[in-house]
Amino acid sequence: MRTVVCIKQVLQLGDEVEFTDDGLDVDPEYLDPALNEWDSFATEEALQLRERLGGEVVVVTCGPKQSEAALRRCLAMGADRAIRVEGAGRDPFSVARALAGVVRGESADLVLCGVQSSDAVQAATGTALAELLDLPRAAVITRLDYSGAGTAVVDRELEGGLIDRVEVETPAVLTIQTGINEPRYANLRAIKQAEQVEIDVRSAAGGGTPAYRIRKMFVPERGEGAEMIDGSPAEIAARIASIVKERLA
Amino acid sequence: MSVLVIAEHLRGQVRDVTRELITAGRELGPVTVAVIGQEPGSLVDAVNLDGVAEIVTVTIAAGEFENDAYQAAVEALIADRQPRVTLLGFTVNSMAYGPAAAVRLGLGFASDVHGVALDGDAVIATRSFYGSKVSAELDFPGADGVMLLLRPTVWAPAEGQGSASVSSLEVAAVPSRARHREIVEATTSSDVDITQADFLLSIGRGIGDKENVEMFEELAEKMGATLSVSRPLVDAGWMPSSRQVGQSGKTVKPTVYLAFGISGAVQHLAGMKTSGTIIAVNTDPEAAIFNVAQYGAKADLFDVAEELEKLF
Amino acid sequence: METRETFAGLSDWQIGLWYGLIAVSTAIFAWGVLRLVLKYRSGRGDLPRDRLVHRVARTVRIVLAHTWIKRRDGVAGLAHAMIFYGFVVLFIGTGILAFQDDFAKPILGWDFWQGPFYLGYSLFLDVFGAFLIVGLVILAVKRARKPKRLDYTRVDGVTSRYARWHYEVGDWIFVGSLLFLGVTGFFLESLRIAETEPSFEKWSPVGWIAAQGLIAIGVDGETAGAAHFRGWWVHGIAALTFVAAIPFTKAVHMMTAPASVATRNDRAGKELVALPPNAKPEEVGYGVVTDLTPAHLLQLDACTKCGKCHEACPAAASGYPLSPRDLVLDLREQSEGTLGIRGRLTVPPLFHSDENLLGNPIRPETVWSCMQCMACVEICPVGIEHVPIINNLRRRLVDQGEMDAQLQTTLETIYESGNSFGEPKRKRGRWTKELEFEIKDARKEPVDVLWFVGDFASLDPRNIRVTQALARILHHAGVDFGILYEGERNAGNDVRRAGEEGLFVDLAESNIEAISACEFERILTSDPHSFNTLKNEYPALGGTWDVVHHSQFLLELFESSALTPGKRLGRRVTYHDPCTLGRYNGVYDEPRALIAAIGCDLVEMQRVRDNSFCCGAGGGRIWMSELKETDAPRPSESRIHEATALDRVSTFVVCCPKDVTMYEDAVKTSGHEDEIEVRELTELVLESLELEQVAVVAGSAEPDDTATT
Repeated sequence: MRTVVCIKQVLQLGDEVEFTDDGLDVDPEYLDPALNEWDSFATEEALQLRERLGGEVVVVTCGPKQSEAALRRCLAMGADRAIRVEGAGRDPFSVARALAGVVRGESADLVLCGVQSSDAVQAATGTALAELLDLPRAAVITRLDYSGAGTAVVDRELEGGLIDRVEVETPAVLTIQTGINEPRYANLRAIKQAEQVEIDVRSAAGGGTPAYRIRKMFVPERGEGAEMIDGSPAEIAARIASIVKERLA
Repeated sequence: MSVLVIAEHLRGQVRDVTRELITAGRELGPVTVAVIGQEPGSLVDAVNLDGVAEIVTVTIAAGEFENDAYQAAVEALIADRQPRVTLLGFTVNSMAYGPAAAVRLGLGFASDVHGVALDGDAVIATRSFYGSKVSAELDFPGADGVMLLLRPTVWAPAEGQGSASVSSLEVAAVPSRARHREIVEATTSSDVDITQADFLLSIGRGIGDKENVEMFEELAEKMGATLSVSRPLVDAGWMPSSRQVGQSGKTVKPTVYLAFGISGAVQHLAGMKTSGTIIAVNTDPEAAIFNVAQYGAKADLFDVAEELEKLF
Repeated sequence: METRETFAGLSDWQIGLWYGLIAVSTAIFAWGVLRLVLKYRSGRGDLPRDRLVHRVARTVRIVLAHTWIKRRDGVAGLAHAMIFYGFVVLFIGTGILAFQDDFAKPILGWDFWQGPFYLGYSLFLDVFGAFLIVGLVILAVKRARKPKRLDYTRVDGVTSRYARWHYEVGDWIFVGSLLFLGVTGFFLESLRIAETEPSFEKWSPVGWIAAQGLIAIGVDGETAGAAHFRGWWVHGIAALTFVAAIPFTKAVHMMTAPASVATRNDRAGKELVALPPNAKPEEVGYGVVTDLTPAHLLQLDACTKCGKCHEACPAAASGYPLSPRDLVLDLREQSEGTLGIRGRLTVPPLFHSDENLLGNPIRPETVWSCMQCMACVEICPVGIEHVPIINNLRRRLVDQGEMDAQLQTTLETIYESGNSFGEPKRKRGRWTKELEFEIKDARKEPVDVLWFVGDFASLDPRNIRVTQALARILHHAGVDFGILYEGERNAGNDVRRAGEEGLFVDLAESNIEAISACEFERILTSDPHSFNTLKNEYPALGGTWDVVHHSQFLLELFESSALTPGKRLGRRVTYHDPCTLGRYNGVYDEPRALIAAIGCDLVEMQRVRDNSFCCGAGGGRIWMSELKETDAPRPSESRIHEATALDRVSTFVVCCPKDVTMYEDAVKTSGHEDEIEVRELTELVLESLELEQVAVVAGSAEPDDTATT
């Protein structure tokens, strides 16, 4: 069986920020790349499927050369092949189109994506991808029951602690939620060996309207915020205690 | 500017986010609310609120949400009503069909939007990037319509009786490839119900080790509080999900919410920001939770916790 | 003529039988030794062969002087020396006799075993025979008092498939059999002397006196002679049995212990052995007993269960499921079970598994409890390398991804962000912003001293105060120094000790690249962990520089008068030797000299210098969850108890960032806040120089009150 996992290398911002000259993005100097947290759960789920059902795990990403580090991390976890597609825009629809161009040729039994990326939080790419591939889909999965063919039974994590149990026809696209499994450690030895692996690089076909255009990026004004309590831990604790006692009286 | 709001409901109840969408939509233009379901008529009254011009019902075969059915219904509604803006809540269900409909119809799209404005004829959506540290204004040149998924709890829920006209739209049934089977309660009902607590002591990733949970459990007991947690502690298996505060956990509104080591991710804040008095202790002065808290302290959690224990 | 007849009273066939028995005993002994050699050869790699002459010479010195055995237990050292020399002399004595009887006399016609030689021989052997017995009695008495060291109760909670009573019984049998041989030897001598009473036999004083005793109780010549004959066979067969059994019993340590001493790598622990390039999963660390190197397999067999490592281990003392002794014995049981006498079956994995029938399974928690503090390696009388062995066990666990979730997260964090706190790289140099002077960027301009600050010292709010203090002192002293700012990543010492060898190499290589691009004379470190790895492990990866720790550097500044002590602090302090500075690298005196230079009175704790008691953070443990299984105080708390028991000591002095964190916490949790205060050495120096402490740091620590201490 073949599972395709779509991953993203996200960019993390510390507490200092400067913008690019055009004001449309954060200066890359202030961003540190990392594998998207949701995607490590998706990759782990794919690896567990392979352990149970055999077959192949392929990881795909849409991004520039530096995003190959994220692919290698997944290869180090145990993925078999990696593909990078470049030249697409960064909004969910441009990414989904670029990914669809690659995934279409892979005859996957399941396509796994993370629910969302930690830097953009759109939660849209997976579902858009499913539409472009004309595949059934289910979003925000915390449990996957799949025996290799036919339908899969999945648990969708609704708000408020409820689960929606759904039967999905396969092949399908599933977006994976954190906590579904425990992603295995990719040790450095494996990562170094993954550096020797050849990554298949493709160009995005292009075309299609982006989902949105960024007009301006800025640091939001913060409201009043909390009244900060100063002092030693003892003083802080005393103040908190008096607030609590007063409010609950 | 016509606005289409897609109502969200579960087990026969319209969810709060729908009312928030109505408030947001009202500011843009006449609002049409679509209710898609097996018995949509029973939900009409709940969405007939001040500012709603029209309610359209679509009947589908499935008893609960199914993404293919909703997508077909929404596509038909948009084709029929040609709204300028379609509003959905940024919810688990919307994630499963919103983007699909939008990419198929060539709409502009943005999710987790917390601000909507008009610049002349253009729709401007404001959302966060890079983990809520920066915001961006988005526009949608060249798109005929726009679909926005709005962040819950940002707009106030609409109130007041409306006088909307009610009609129905027939949508041809489509094969539903992801079929709803049942709703399951994730949490064991034997554990404490944190939504009933008057005083919650809540802990997050900042507590570090699993071993430290015990210390805060003891502190909670001494202070007369119920212990609750943010999502990472449940994901890590340190506490059961019945204790989780947040969008995918429980929404709570205690008189006092005392948070230790919680940074304030949006989904967590959504679950507690309407609490009476919020006090947050965190070593990170930039933690988002300080934006919703009434009182805050930039201090070491354990030092403060230790001192607190002496006072109770 | 002074001599005696060998084989007196034995007929020819009996002598023949005797030699036959010798042959059998020797054959069994040889087979036993061969089996051991084959066992060691099943390991991975070869025995160390470098500087063979030096190794052998050093071993001879150590064994003859009992240098390692007598440490921390002079009485045992003396008693063992008596046994050792008693045994050796008696053995040589028998050898001389055999040489005389079987070679010199019949073949060369040379009969020297008579006259003065015989008398000297007799005296010598009697005296050393007596030493043997006295030594054995001393040790038997020590053992009978059931010292904690010899309590074989397991600390890891594993119900042993092999009950441990057999260890105790075996020990007593060993002592008992040696005593039996010694006593029967003297008894025989006394019977022989009593039979004919040759006057020159006064040169065998013990035998002579005993013979007088026998005669006094009425034993006549004939009885003595008959008893002597029977007794001789008893003693002889017992001796031959003992010899044959040597390779299969505790007695094997007579051979394996010196051999183990000869294999000892002096840099064991402080410079860990790298993996072969492109190592395959089965080449990473130890997963089955055949993965152990021949040296380690040999070391396992050298263990005499003396318990010194067990006694020294901070994990064992604090209720963790780890005793170095138990780990060595479990591994030994495995090696015996799979490679030794219990048969060559399929080799099972070392860690707990249902199919593991042959040895005690090793719990991963046991391996993860180790603080890599080197107390065990340091004190082991036979040179066992527990720390590298544990490190290799960890390497396999890490490679298979089987580790504590917190450790996994921390390693991933270190890989992504280059530090264990998950802070953005830009934050590394942020601590310099509070200072009123600029610190040079060593990447951009040449400096005299390149200061490698380290993770904790750069990013932990409490330790930033110490780092800033050091910066102020260096500035005040006019030192030309610079730091690497974002070019610095975690040094990798603890990553390596946690078993993630690949990540260590990655960190080290990137640090070496960054450092190599700079121009400087020396490297200064403020963390003993960075000190250890930069000094001892970076050279193998291409980074060889002169590295000093800040305690050494500050002392240098005082001694060269670049700094003059200001106020004499007059505190009564105690000093905690950090593991990686002290035991690993022998730096004990410089911090003490510095304490004296600033006018503090040093009161030493009981466990000092090489016997220092680890704070519990080493070996990556600071990144792992708690593994303590009993209510015993944590290592750091135990240490604070030790310090507060000293007379009127107000200050606990440390010079390692982890110690600062661990001990400040321990002072609070052990309830000694009003009695003792933790201060880093640099902070005391700052106080003495009367320079200002930084007021507020990074918004997260409270303002420092410089008016009080």
